[in-house]
Amino acid sequence: MVDINQKKLKDVDWLLLIAPIALTVFGCIGIASSAPDSGYVKKQIISLGIGLAIAIAIMFTDYRKIVFDIAPFFYGAVLVLLVVVLVAGTEINGNRAWLRLAGFSLQPSEFAKAATILMLARHLANVRQSFLSLRDMIIMGAIVMPPVILVLLEHDTGTTLTFGAIIGTFYFLGGMRKIFLAVGAVAIVVGLIAVYPHLKGYQKERINVIIHPEQADPKGFGYQTIQSVIAVGSGGVLGKGLGQGTQGKLGFLPFAWTDFIAAVIAEETGLAGVLLMMCLYLLLIWRLIAVAKASRERAGSLLVMGFVGLITFHILCNLGMVVAILPIMGIPLPLMSYGGTAVMAMFMGVGLALSVRMRRFVN
Amino acid sequence: MSSSSNLKEDVFNLELRVYFIQYLVLVVFIALGIRFYVLQVARHDDYQARAENNRIREIPIPAPRGRILDRNEKVLVDGDSAFNVVVIPEDITDKEDTLNALAQNLDVDRAEVLAELNNPLRAKSLPVLVKQNASPADLQWVGSHELEHPEISIEEQPQRIYKYGKLAAHLLGYIGQVNPKQLEIPKFKDAGYKAGDIIGQGGIEAVYDQVLRGKDGMRRVIVDSRGVPKAELERIDPIRGQDVITTIDLDLQSLAENLFTSKNETGALVALNPQDGEILAMVSVPSFDPNVFARNVVTENRKEVRAIVNDPAHPLFNKAIQSIYPTGSTWKIMMATAALEEGVITPKNSKIVCGHGLQLGNRFLNDSGGNHGMPDIHAAIVHSCDGYFYRLGLKMGVDMIHDWVSRFGMGQKTGVDLPSEQRGIIPSREWKKRVNPRDPAWKDFDTAIASIGQGSVAVPPLQLLRAEAGIITGGKFYKPHVFKEARATQLAPVKYFDNEPTELKLSPTTVAIIDYALWGVVNEGGTAGGVGFPRELNIGGKTGTAQVIAREKVRTKEHKDHSWFISFAPTHTQEKPEIGVVCITENGGWGASASGPKVKLVEAAYFSKKLGRPILPELLALNTPPKVEVSRAATGAKPVPDTDRKRRPLVQ
Repeated sequence: MVDINQKKLKDVDWLLLIAPIALTVFGCIGIASSAPDSGYVKKQIISLGIGLAIAIAIMFTDYRKIVFDIAPFFYGAVLVLLVVVLVAGTEINGNRAWLRLAGFSLQPSEFAKAATILMLARHLANVRQSFLSLRDMIIMGAIVMPPVILVLLEHDTGTTLTFGAIIGTFYFLGGMRKIFLAVGAVAIVVGLIAVYPHLKGYQKERINVIIHPEQADPKGFGYQTIQSVIAVGSGGVLGKGLGQGTQGKLGFLPFAWTDFIAAVIAEETGLAGVLLMMCLYLLLIWRLIAVAKASRERAGSLLVMGFVGLITFHILCNLGMVVAILPIMGIPLPLMSYGGTAVMAMFMGVGLALSVRMRRFVN
Repeated sequence: MSSSSNLKEDVFNLELRVYFIQYLVLVVFIALGIRFYVLQVARHDDYQARAENNRIREIPIPAPRGRILDRNEKVLVDGDSAFNVVVIPEDITDKEDTLNALAQNLDVDRAEVLAELNNPLRAKSLPVLVKQNASPADLQWVGSHELEHPEISIEEQPQRIYKYGKLAAHLLGYIGQVNPKQLEIPKFKDAGYKAGDIIGQGGIEAVYDQVLRGKDGMRRVIVDSRGVPKAELERIDPIRGQDVITTIDLDLQSLAENLFTSKNETGALVALNPQDGEILAMVSVPSFDPNVFARNVVTENRKEVRAIVNDPAHPLFNKAIQSIYPTGSTWKIMMATAALEEGVITPKNSKIVCGHGLQLGNRFLNDSGGNHGMPDIHAAIVHSCDGYFYRLGLKMGVDMIHDWVSRFGMGQKTGVDLPSEQRGIIPSREWKKRVNPRDPAWKDFDTAIASIGQGSVAVPPLQLLRAEAGIITGGKFYKPHVFKEARATQLAPVKYFDNEPTELKLSPTTVAIIDYALWGVVNEGGTAGGVGFPRELNIGGKTGTAQVIAREKVRTKEHKDHSWFISFAPTHTQEKPEIGVVCITENGGWGASASGPKVKLVEAAYFSKKLGRPILPELLALNTPPKVEVSRAATGAKPVPDTDRKRRPLVQ
């Protein structure tokens, strides 16, 4: 299963490996600036190490074996973990999403995203027609539903939305008919409008602060958004310097080391740092897309594009929130936000992409 | 062979869709990039300012108010620090535990604190005040439980301490937060007051607020999101306000108040120096405790404050300048002076019949003192002959009376340096027209009763005292005042009260006749003969009875007449009078009965202190130094220095 030789090492896409490492390290700078103590950075670095190990292990494994043989077991195991977390999980900031294991908190929902991508790629790989049938759409929906329900029970709205983005990506890649696309788009708009009155007060307030920032209560639920924009705006072109950000350091940005890590980076390193960060993300996504294009068969392309959809959605939601064009949804920034499980899950995707690339010519 | 051709063979659409996603990603990144550019470059200055505003706080350091002292530099009002126990909500780990600790050890009302902690309107970062004026024991408990209860801490707050409680409250006044209505008044706006300032709201505190308040200092600090200062950028120390030395004599003030309160009487008393207008004592009973306002300076609607404001006895009212009373016979001094000056009567020929009163048409105006035969002006004043003055008044006419009492300053503000002084009412044709439109014409009857200080006469006691002090000094009408001196600080130089009298030319013969008559009232078996004034002091005076309602209807104490006594000493000697006292005892009955003894004791105390020997044996019994009412236990303040406690007794 694991076969290493010189030729294969030459085939490693080093940029695809370096970009996520650079992003994680960049994130650590922001975490160091805003987290209550240095333990956060240490844990993040350890997670990076574990993530790299996972990525390399996966790289040397044939992704087809993972998609077609291991994925169902992985998916099943993740579902079990999600149930366990509901029963015995730890609650952090209102979400019951963490499992405490030997000093580390594990967030099974992050692995659930990877497992769902694997299962969807596995199903879609065998669909050999130009357009997605209704039957296939229902089967794919059935793959997504169990984790979605379990994550909803954890009150984790952000992660739930992420599953929506994942299945959306696969529907699109699978060749969904235009009529379904249109119906889907209408359904999303109607759904949002229908759901709005039933949202909780704080959720409405988070949306209102985006639409009417001048009416928002600066001490209420608009607080984080307002403080985030101040942090970003005050950073200017070159930033206030590493460790010099007042918004992050003096606690005006609550939980700056997780969801608002980009605001800290923007404050301390300015537009220059933001552009560097975005270039690294673009590099990562570009390399992933290149792998998807180069893949010699559907399973590999679909798998990698699933991760592209996931990463892009996270970046859009998170940065959109940080610059106040989207409401706060609790979606972290991939690789940069503090969170070990998320880092590991991302490197799992990187490993899969490396594996796909390595086997692009081989039969 | 490229891999993309592989894909094309596989599923025609997939590559196209991958490209679509790739462009979508690019669009998302460009959109985000533009937004970052807008925030970080185009709007940078605005957000930069807001971040600075977030982080830098200017914390004012309130300047301690100047102290208020009596004429002998005994401290009446002190500035001090009080200590409050506060709870910082963010540091609470176990609410129940905190509440129990507070309730058991600091005697704090659980429910009140819980309500405040749960108050949705309270800013989360602000500490919750749980106990004002913590006692030393409280402070010690908090200090020794720092580790178990880091959420409970102590805050220092400047405090105003009125050392003698109710004593001289109307003079001293009280402090309070400047209210929004005041901020609209130019006088307050120009003074540079801003919302939240603590300012004087009555008495000397209000009138001399600019002198007392000093200049606030300021700290520019870097704070975190909870407002906790992390570092200090700049500090400007506050400058203490000027100490104000008043003209008040603490011992006289205290004695005079006791004379009312010990008998459960109400009224007013003012003692001043006729030669310069310095007020030695000014009493208005009932009084109030200004400490109540100082304690509740921010929360004005507290129960304690409301109790004072809504008290039907109006303790906040300074009766010496804000209440108006008919003067009764004390008015006759002014009548006599005017008549002599105008030549209506002359020193040689001043006899007018008494007739036990005066028949005017179908009404008989009674002389309650009986029939005095045909007295001259001296006897008429000594025995307070109403019949004499009815007839004298009719001879003078209302216009002459009005003209002369106006020259004495009646019906006008004295200009005393205290707020809300009343003008009062004096006889005039215009006045009757205004208040009595159904019977607007001035009649002889009106003139007759005005001549004995009834009917159209109603003035504040201080106005009467100033007018007659002006007569007895031969025409020097000083502005009564309580401010003597403000001590210099680094901010302001020493200030004195600038007092130029309004002069009125009075013939020395007239003044001598009045002077002698006043002496006679006390020392020749006149209306105050029975009060027992010590003869050696040559005290002069005049009784007065202000009728509340017609005599036949008197049933209860509330309907009894007000008792007046106005006095100067020494009189009928070569020395100048150096003390003038006016006293009104509300519902005290006939002139000399309630007010005479009070004035006697105040004057005796004044001369005892001056001469350094006891004047009246009964004074010894009353010689209890004023009590310091604000104790350390009650305020958590530092103990009062011993120098202030070493009081010279009234009688040595």
